[in-house]
Amino acid sequence: MSKMTLKTEGDRYLIVTRRFAASPEAVYRAHTDAKLVQQWLLGPKGWTMPVCINEAKPGGKIRYEWSNGKGGGFYLTGEYLELEPYRRIVHVERMHLPDPTPDNHVETRFEADGTGTLMTMRMTLPDAQTRAGMLATNMERGMEASYVRLEGMNWFGGKAPDHGSAAG
Amino acid sequence: MELAEPFEMTQPAISQHLKVLEDAGLIVQRIDGTKRPRRLAKPGIEAMDRWLAMLRKAIERNYDRLDEVLAGMEENKRGKKR
Repeated sequence: MSKMTLKTEGDRYLIVTRRFAASPEAVYRAHTDAKLVQQWLLGPKGWTMPVCINEAKPGGKIRYEWSNGKGGGFYLTGEYLELEPYRRIVHVERMHLPDPTPDNHVETRFEADGTGTLMTMRMTLPDAQTRAGMLATNMERGMEASYVRLEGMNWFGGKAPDHGSAAG
Repeated sequence: MELAEPFEMTQPAISQHLKVLEDAGLIVQRIDGTKRPRRLAKPGIEAMDRWLAMLRKAIERNYDRLDEVLAGMEENKRGKKR
């Protein structure tokens, strides 16, 4: 019954769709206005985003820093590639855990759907070799460590690779 | 050998892939004469499943929160018009 879908397309893409009861303009703004992003892109309960830099213009920087309030945290950096106001965003991002994950290329589309909006986010996964390497690295460090990281993992992505290979 | 058959890959390449899976804790191999049968490692697969479930939950929570943010934006807008 979930409104969200998450699936792989081929072995290079991970697609997330979600419907919202608001206009494409509003949903787009909630993705590009730092003050709004800071309110929802938080992952599990208890986490906050004390630093949120979001320069919504081509070449603009993205930096999100999360904290669990107990000394735990990690951050994400990225750059905007293309922006079509209220319709489409293309950016790259990577998580720093603290080692950076491979770049995740993300295209996000916002389409009017009745009185609301259908959002489609398409993430490009690294190639199979990189994914296998990441998986091995994660396992080496122990699954437990991955859970700890995941607790803060919030989605725009860096972990998509493991996810895609696993689901696919 | 049997595992390599369906793939257009050399035996060493297949062994390399199997090693990655084994190091990752997703398969285990045993020795049976000259054969090296592999099977899925249940704990590894289950751990991955749990990880995926948590991930999905984290994303869903984000979007539920975004619903609230959007509702708040709508209210603000109406408030200003009044």
